[in-house]
Amino acid sequence: MNIVVCVKRVPLTQEVDLEIDSTGKDIKKEPLAYVINDWDHYAIEEAVLLQEKFGGTVTAITIGNEEDEEVLRRALAMGAAKAIRIDPGDLSLDGFVISRLLWAAVKDLPFELVLTGVQANDDNCGMVGVMLAEHLGVAHTAVVTGVEVDGKEAELQIELEGGIEEKSNIELPALLTIQTGINVPRYVSIMGIRKARKKPLEVIKVSELGLPSEDLTPRTMIQEIYLPPDTEGAEMIEGNPSTVAEEIIRILTEKGVNV
Amino acid sequence: MLTPHHPATQNYLGLPGYLFTWIIFLAGISLFAFIIYRRSLLLRSGQADPRLSELGRRVLGVITFGLFQKRQPRYFWAGVIHILIFSGFVVLGLRSLDLISHGLGLPVLAPLMNTAFGHVYGTLKDLFELIVFAACFWAMLRRAIVRPERYSDSHAFEAYFVLCLISLLMLTDMAFEGAGILLGNANGQGLPASQWIAGLLSRMSRSSVERIYISGYWLHLLVFFFFLNFLPLGKHFHIITALPNVFFRKLKKGALKPARWDVEDMDDLETLGVGKIEDFTWKNILDLYTCTECGRCSDHCPANAIGRPLSPKRLTMNLRDHAYGRYPVFPFTGKNSGAKPGPIMVGGVISTEAIWSCTTCGACEEECPVFIEYIDKIIDMRRHLIETARNPTSFNQVLMHVEKTGNPFGKPAAKRADWIQELNVPSVRILGEGDETDVLYFVDSYASFDPAAQRIASAIVKGLNLAGVDFGVLGPLEKDSGHQVRRIGEEGLFQLLLEENSETLKSIQFNRIITTDPHTFNTLKKDYPGNFRVFHYTQFFQSMLQSGQLKPGKALDAHETYTYHDPCYLGRHNSIYDAPRDIIRSIPGMNFREMTKSRDRSFCCGGADIVLWYEIEQEKERMAVKRVQMARDAGADVIVTACPFCLIHFEDAIKSGGLEKDIRVVDLMELFISTL
Amino acid sequence: MDEILVIAEHRQGILRDITHEMLFKADQLRKSTSCAVTVLLIGGLDETTLKELSRRADKVLLLEQESLKNFNPDSYKETIFRLIQERQPFMTLIGHTSWGMGYAPALSVKTGYPFATDCIDILVENRRPLVIRQMYGGKVFSKVSFKESKGYILTVRPGAFPPPESVEDRHGEILPLPIPADLPRPRSTFLELVDTGAGELDITQADLLVSIGRGVGDEENIATVKGLADLMGGTLACSRPIVDKNWLPKFRQVGTSGKSVRPKVYLALGISGAFQHIAGISGAGTVIAVNKDRKAPIFRVADFGVVEDLFKVLEAMKEKLAK
Repeated sequence: MNIVVCVKRVPLTQEVDLEIDSTGKDIKKEPLAYVINDWDHYAIEEAVLLQEKFGGTVTAITIGNEEDEEVLRRALAMGAAKAIRIDPGDLSLDGFVISRLLWAAVKDLPFELVLTGVQANDDNCGMVGVMLAEHLGVAHTAVVTGVEVDGKEAELQIELEGGIEEKSNIELPALLTIQTGINVPRYVSIMGIRKARKKPLEVIKVSELGLPSEDLTPRTMIQEIYLPPDTEGAEMIEGNPSTVAEEIIRILTEKGVNV
Repeated sequence: MLTPHHPATQNYLGLPGYLFTWIIFLAGISLFAFIIYRRSLLLRSGQADPRLSELGRRVLGVITFGLFQKRQPRYFWAGVIHILIFSGFVVLGLRSLDLISHGLGLPVLAPLMNTAFGHVYGTLKDLFELIVFAACFWAMLRRAIVRPERYSDSHAFEAYFVLCLISLLMLTDMAFEGAGILLGNANGQGLPASQWIAGLLSRMSRSSVERIYISGYWLHLLVFFFFLNFLPLGKHFHIITALPNVFFRKLKKGALKPARWDVEDMDDLETLGVGKIEDFTWKNILDLYTCTECGRCSDHCPANAIGRPLSPKRLTMNLRDHAYGRYPVFPFTGKNSGAKPGPIMVGGVISTEAIWSCTTCGACEEECPVFIEYIDKIIDMRRHLIETARNPTSFNQVLMHVEKTGNPFGKPAAKRADWIQELNVPSVRILGEGDETDVLYFVDSYASFDPAAQRIASAIVKGLNLAGVDFGVLGPLEKDSGHQVRRIGEEGLFQLLLEENSETLKSIQFNRIITTDPHTFNTLKKDYPGNFRVFHYTQFFQSMLQSGQLKPGKALDAHETYTYHDPCYLGRHNSIYDAPRDIIRSIPGMNFREMTKSRDRSFCCGGADIVLWYEIEQEKERMAVKRVQMARDAGADVIVTACPFCLIHFEDAIKSGGLEKDIRVVDLMELFISTL
Repeated sequence: MDEILVIAEHRQGILRDITHEMLFKADQLRKSTSCAVTVLLIGGLDETTLKELSRRADKVLLLEQESLKNFNPDSYKETIFRLIQERQPFMTLIGHTSWGMGYAPALSVKTGYPFATDCIDILVENRRPLVIRQMYGGKVFSKVSFKESKGYILTVRPGAFPPPESVEDRHGEILPLPIPADLPRPRSTFLELVDTGAGELDITQADLLVSIGRGVGDEENIATVKGLADLMGGTLACSRPIVDKNWLPKFRQVGTSGKSVRPKVYLALGISGAFQHIAGISGAGTVIAVNKDRKAPIFRVADFGVVEDLFKVLEAMKEKLAK
């Protein structure tokens, strides 16, 4: 079974205090380290697991510059057979444009499944996957936590809110957006990633995709980004742990909790 | 002296005795040559390993540790027994040659034996035969009655069998000589053993004595050649391989081997670690030949002591069994040769949990009388597990953090020097490219980001300032030294860190490097190729003490008793035992006591790598908890350590055991600063 | 047609809160958009719910049919597409839920309308919407504008627009619609729903929840926290990362993909305050947060905050309670 996985390289921001850059439309990126998008990491692993079970090839695809090839190499090291990088040049991107670029590169590839992450760590949009599905004209479902392929169908587990999961069937070919926790992505060592250089990585320029300008025009624009206003929120309890503990217990008792 | 009645001169079944000696000799030697050849095939299938550096030091080691058995008395009585038997072998080798050569009709040693030397040697030989015989008997008694724990899963049958064979060798010669005296074929002067036997046999008939005389000789010959050929088949191969193994031993303690010695560029390698037996180096394989199953390694292994599934002895024995199974001496007898391949080596023969259990503390290598190496083998197997993605998943994020942010916490590299401000540490120069300084203080990740370790860094800086030292730190330019990463088995990532740090270090002019922790010290000194002058802070401040630049003034509270825990990477791996003790003893009012297991027998606190991110299920208690108990047993109120990881583990153990009122732990630098 | 179309979301016969939230926001946008508020209900619900809906919208469009009883991305997409073609609403609001995310982007492609997700505020300027949404896991807010179009599609964050207790009755008209004849066969089939949050105990019943997040560090530290929880008569709960790591079972998870809780006191230890978690405690009486990071988002929503190592506070509390 042939699977296409869309991956993205995003900045690592978990422990970082973000700062707005001079344009006011993005964060300062130089001090940041870059990693593979969490959700896409799970998507690649799921694709490789399916490929190990059913045979076929996994193709990883990303949109980015040369440095972004790092995530493709990770996918190759994890088990993808080949990778494609679409070089956007100076093009302004939004979810719609990204989905069109991906469509142009993916439409002629053979596949039973296209996997993407539910969303990306940077913009948290969660739209590219299902948009791509519509362009490709395939069935689609989001937030998938389990995939069992059976011939031309797959039984899916979907995470709904409140601890409820849905089980449903979907016809292949299909596009699924993959949720974190579906598997445990295998570790690839530095040497493993270096070895992946032997696998094919194709670079396609946007101009080669032959898309009309309408497809390359963003439909949403970021006007500005800003940091959240300072905490008006909590009333801070100061003091050493002992004082703090006392105060917490006092609050608990006051609110009617029997400690 | 070949008397007319020498057994070889007599006829048996119409054939001359010489014929039989020659048959036994030729058969014995050929079989032995064949067996050794077969064993060499396995050895030669191993990878390259350069072991001819510092020849003088190597020879000295053979003399000290080989001939003089320096490590044996670490277990006193067992050591004594072994030294006696070993010395016996050394002395009696000549006797066996003499007996055989006589039997072959080529008494080459006769001229030598006819001199005064021969007389002295005769007495010596007799004495040693008695000594060895008694030692073997004592050894068997010890095994049967005392039953030391460390022998528990060794091959007991082989042990007793060989002790019996050796005893038989002694007895047969004594019987031959003793009977010879009675028959008038030999002069009993100065031969106490033989005379004793002669005395025992004196009441027997002449023909019986003759029979004993003859059978003593032939039996001796047969047992000798049987024993010779038996040696390479089991743990007594060490009799042949021990001295070479000591000669070829690892001289650079604490260093790790590269992926392959003979391949510079790791990209050229198909695999990085050890997955099959042939991936080990020839020296690793020689180690397997040399294991005597004495169990001293496992006896001191802290992982073993707390119930983890790691026993260094079993590791070596299992690898040996697996190797012999794949390369049997007699073709088609191997367990793992032929159609059915048998369990995989890494993950099967040696369980992954055993491989992750090791803290690389080096206690095993410190004990082993024949210098078997364990750490490199384990690390090599970890490299294989990492490259086949069979590592605990808790490592994934840590390794990603180290790769992307240069520290295992995932904190942005730009914040690496924030501790300076956070802890209000004055006067710390942050070095940039092209800067010059006397001392480069390599803080490393834990001291930069972990609160407990940051306090040590703060104390070190205070000390450097008080002593007026010109120093600086690398700040955001510094990446993790990689000691954890390398010992987890991520060799590729380690090399990346090494390259980046080396670049940075090259761009700065400095005379010396000092480090917060012994692991960083060890890695910069042994794993990094540049020849830096690296010191751990204990060495550095001890020299400040000696030169008088720093002097402790304030005395301590007289009520508290202090003890010192030797960190593995300061003590065992780098033999730095006295510098920290000098600092401690220089403090006025110091009331100091050593723990029973101290210096090179220090008990690991838990370690600086895997233990932080992965728990071995079978573990019954924490190493740190056990060690804190040892400190309490020594009557200490305070444990002094010189490593931030020891500090973290001990603080943890004290907290989780509720022992805050009984004992506390303090880092040596913090203690030292508090007295200045 | 100057209309704001709200797509109702319902599950197991119950209308989900997001529907009311979107209707509330749509109502607020009436003036600036000069639009009426229409709600589309695919599949059937009981009389009471229908009445409730009709109080909050000007029109209730009803598409009832056996085949549309359960959610299905294709059916919803195709049905709403046809409706949008016919009615040309100015804005279509869909819940930013698993189901919503499963079809809304496809719908935007089909209609050609600009599309933004997970909006936490919606403004209208010069007859064009402007939305506020979060990026970088909630660390940053962004204001997003759209290319000019006849219509726009937005998914709305659950909990962003909590409606007041009582709303003015709009006396909406209930209009049953015919099922479009040319609906293509859906390519997925609903099988069943499974409650994975069920477990040996129900954390939604507790008065005091002692909840842990990534700040707990190691799995073995959980026992320490449980010790305190037991001492206080509280129940142990956690955020998503703890369950993802398999350190605690799913029934203890609080948040969007876990449980919504309303304890008297919610003690959040080492929880940063990711939006999905906050969503689960919006009904809590008092939230006390302990976190080493002064800038942790949880301090924005907690009632009381402590910037300290949670283990130090734990220790101190244990000591005080032991007395």
